[in-house]
Amino acid sequence: MKTISYQDALLETMTQALDTNPSALIMGQGVDDHKGLFGSTTDLAEKYGHDRVMDTPLAEEGIMGIAVGAAMNGMYPILTHIRADFMLLATNQIINMAAKYKYMFGGTTEVPLMIRAIVGRSWGQGAQHSQSLQSLFAHIPGLRVIMPSCSQTILDSYPHLINNVKGPVISFEHRLLYTLNFDVDEAALKVPADPLRARKMREGDDVTIVATSIMSLEALRAAKYLEAEAGISCDVIDLHCISHIDVDMICDSVKKTGRLVVADTSWAPFGVSAEICRLICERDPSLLKQPVERLSMAWAPCPTAKTLEDMYYPHLGDMCDTIARAVTGKEKHGIVLPSETSMADVYKRFRGPF
Amino acid sequence: MFKKLFKQALLIRLVEEKIIELYPTDKIQSPVHMSIGQEAVAVGSCAALKKEDLVFATYRSHAFYLAKGGDIQKMFAELYGRVRGGCKGKAGSMHLAAPEVGFMGASAVVASSVPHAAGAALAAKMRKTGQVVLSVFGDGATEEGVCHETLNFASLHKLPVVFLCEDNGLAVHSFKSARQSYDLEKMPETYGIRTTVIENAMDFVNVQAVTQEVVDSVRAGDGPRFILAKTYRYKEHVGPGDDFEAGYRCKSEYDKWSALDPLIQDKETYDAVKSELDAEIAKAVQFAEDSPWPGRDELLTDVW
Repeated sequence: MKTISYQDALLETMTQALDTNPSALIMGQGVDDHKGLFGSTTDLAEKYGHDRVMDTPLAEEGIMGIAVGAAMNGMYPILTHIRADFMLLATNQIINMAAKYKYMFGGTTEVPLMIRAIVGRSWGQGAQHSQSLQSLFAHIPGLRVIMPSCSQTILDSYPHLINNVKGPVISFEHRLLYTLNFDVDEAALKVPADPLRARKMREGDDVTIVATSIMSLEALRAAKYLEAEAGISCDVIDLHCISHIDVDMICDSVKKTGRLVVADTSWAPFGVSAEICRLICERDPSLLKQPVERLSMAWAPCPTAKTLEDMYYPHLGDMCDTIARAVTGKEKHGIVLPSETSMADVYKRFRGPF
Repeated sequence: MFKKLFKQALLIRLVEEKIIELYPTDKIQSPVHMSIGQEAVAVGSCAALKKEDLVFATYRSHAFYLAKGGDIQKMFAELYGRVRGGCKGKAGSMHLAAPEVGFMGASAVVASSVPHAAGAALAAKMRKTGQVVLSVFGDGATEEGVCHETLNFASLHKLPVVFLCEDNGLAVHSFKSARQSYDLEKMPETYGIRTTVIENAMDFVNVQAVTQEVVDSVRAGDGPRFILAKTYRYKEHVGPGDDFEAGYRCKSEYDKWSALDPLIQDKETYDAVKSELDAEIAKAVQFAEDSPWPGRDELLTDVW
């Protein structure tokens, strides 16, 4: 067991990629600067050269297309977006080209690459610097979309994806996770397993919580609180892969609990919670004893004012309330909720500007 | 050189004339963007490349596919949507690909393959493969932002890429004067990329000579170059027909360009090679006719 922060786990995998994979190349705005993409590429340009850790012009579509072409001629580009929102400028290349080429060219072409897109949510990031866009990309056949929730999933999945996987992968990394420390089971890293699998984080019998990214951490906090406060036992699943959902793990859990809460970092309509409901409805809707509950961002662009932002994102009180409602089937469940009213205040370990 | 290139250019023209002949039967059920009139750009430029060099092209790429060495039988099978096509029938005319001969694939979103050429050139430089990469696009593509983004990056990193603009003056039915505030001949210079203009790109021998000089310089590490090849689209933007009656362009332009076209003017060479090429095309059409359709097992194959 070792303890390592999310950003250091990222730095470790980036270092390892450059060390062990001669095709690996990191491209992105500021990857070689003194901030090193929130510490995840710090000093790599000095060590491996500015041609392999390459600062890029402000040209998201062009750079994405250049990465596609480099991948088609033997490289493994790792692209970075300091804000996932800027990746929208590259969607033509991601959706029309990278996702299509293998199929469209009859299997004659591979486009192996990874896009690291940071969900910029911290505080005050507003409508254009904070979005969680996983559903948008998971909708497209030909893309793999993941949301690592901790250092373990980074150390487990990134090396495998970078060295063995022959197609485009988009990883949404959450800004609030970067400075957090996590315990890592080093023995488990040595056991080969599907890097895209979902992970059971806690066993329980009363309710299944499927969570993405930082919401997995919130789900664990809520599970601990509700166990102590009301004896509610939560089965918590960290979904990890958004595009290829582990429906067996979810259905096995719901079969046991009969109740489901989906906690996603993004909006509800057409999103992760909608997709999980589809999968259960197609597989076996009789597994559910109660209507499904979900937590998500409010159906609006993200506001900047702290008062509104704290309402926009669900906090621990909202999550405990939602789980209690799912378990009891009652709006007025009588369970005392935690007094916490801001999720950002719990995780933010840094001061501005971003 | 003349006879070799003439034969290649004529093969392309006869292939497309065969497509025009077949099109009303609906055996080819995909949009076709004909290269007729522009064959010399493809055969001249590809003659200056090595087999391991790469070409990234557009939806109007029957000519470049064949000029780079793509298999003619697989091409017809692909147009027919059959499983023996180069892409198992999933590409059709607009997405021909033959990476085994360096024809890396045709993309049908305007300008979208321009950065791919620069990226492949970046890989060639980093991996020291000695490859030169040819990016083919039309004059309309130069209006897209990604084209400018790519010229900037390619020049910044001195990449071994040749930008070859097939300037037929038209984007669908719009002339350059309605689309471009800039002088296309001077635009690449703003990124420090030297531009060579070929006024008569019907002359495949000249296209070959110019491209060879450019490719040699790029291969030597002197950075990217831009070739503006002036040419003429004989047919409508998409489809097998003529469209001079539509009124947006004059037949006199066709008369001017076709007077420069060796495939029309040099009847002696034409007659000497035509029957051999016709036989090759007939064989390819038969190959397509005989090929099975892709079945359900192919529907989800190669979705990554």
